[in-house]
Amino acid sequence: MRYAGPAGVDLEKMAVPLENICSHCDYKGSPGCKEPECLVGFARRVLRYAVQKGLLDVPGASSLIPKGDFKHYYPEALVPALAETCRQCKECRDNHTPDCVVALVRSSVEFTVLSDNIPYPGSVFMYLARIKEQNSDLAALLAVELSKK
Amino acid sequence: MGEGIFRQKNGMVAIDIVASCGVMTPDQLLGLARLSEECGVFRIKLTSRQTMVAVLDGNGAGRLVKSLPGLGLKVSPYGNVVRAVKACAGSSALCPRSVGEALELGIEIQDKYIGMEVPKDFKIAVAGCIRGCTDPYCADMGIVATGREVFDVAVGGFGGSSKPIHGEVVARRISRDSVFLLIDHVLDRFRALGEPGEKLGRAIARLGLESFLPPAGLVKEALQAPPDDFVKFLEN
Repeated sequence: MRYAGPAGVDLEKMAVPLENICSHCDYKGSPGCKEPECLVGFARRVLRYAVQKGLLDVPGASSLIPKGDFKHYYPEALVPALAETCRQCKECRDNHTPDCVVALVRSSVEFTVLSDNIPYPGSVFMYLARIKEQNSDLAALLAVELSKK
Repeated sequence: MGEGIFRQKNGMVAIDIVASCGVMTPDQLLGLARLSEECGVFRIKLTSRQTMVAVLDGNGAGRLVKSLPGLGLKVSPYGNVVRAVKACAGSSALCPRSVGEALELGIEIQDKYIGMEVPKDFKIAVAGCIRGCTDPYCADMGIVATGREVFDVAVGGFGGSSKPIHGEVVARRISRDSVFLLIDHVLDRFRALGEPGEKLGRAIARLGLESFLPPAGLVKEALQAPPDDFVKFLEN
């Protein structure tokens, strides 16, 4: 397992856009809000676990992504979360694995709107190109979000 | 099988010494230093394959060779055989960036395969992460850790050439046991299909990668169970 400190990844920063998605969710605060079964809830728990343990990857955790979450998500709400994972990957420059905390968050968010997970190609430009193959509107929104400072 | 003992242009003798992928204990290092003095070793050079070449006057060579096993070292095999394995420091003890126990795997691979005869020298490189400090894509067989006990494997690389070629990935995210099954398979195919003196990469270029791919079901994807405390954290 890798630890969060040396790689310089800001896990707290990734949590902020996820909290925004939750705050606008119809299930928020209701008995139907079940984090382990929700893609965004799973991503938030992964981050909380990683912060608590000081880890940067959780071996095998990608197998637990709740792909059965078919709630409707608005792409406009998701792109800040996706964009933040791209920024953090750029900062990290560490190994990419599907069980990296950043990859777990990105994969979870991708599954809310994309049918297939995108293995991160190691560059934001290439990532946008891969997203465009599946959802050009999402790619355009993400490009705008990433251009913000 | 040849041995890595070479007469040099200046009349001295060079002896290629293998340790466990370049790892030595202080006792081994001290023992080799003492032995080198006693045998009149002129210089010791670390090689790119993580072996050591001791250069000495021919008179002391026999004694040096005979004494190496006592230190847990040996003369490197040479010629058309599986050569000493190159493994990075990838382990939880030696490299903070390593994602798997590559060094331990490399040592085990070396112990099992070194010296086995093949049509042309066969070099294996093992890396603990995708950075590949041991140039796994430039080796006949390159193994890269992509998880704790999870590995990608490339074959047919040929870095030491005026026309270098990169190996092609033939298996992704396979288990440790599957790495050994895949090495066995590739070596068998290479012995069966490779022409004498033909590098694996050249044989692949001539015959196609398909001839060297493992049959369906031979290698298995590594299944990694998430840590128990993460599962509990997720459920609570």
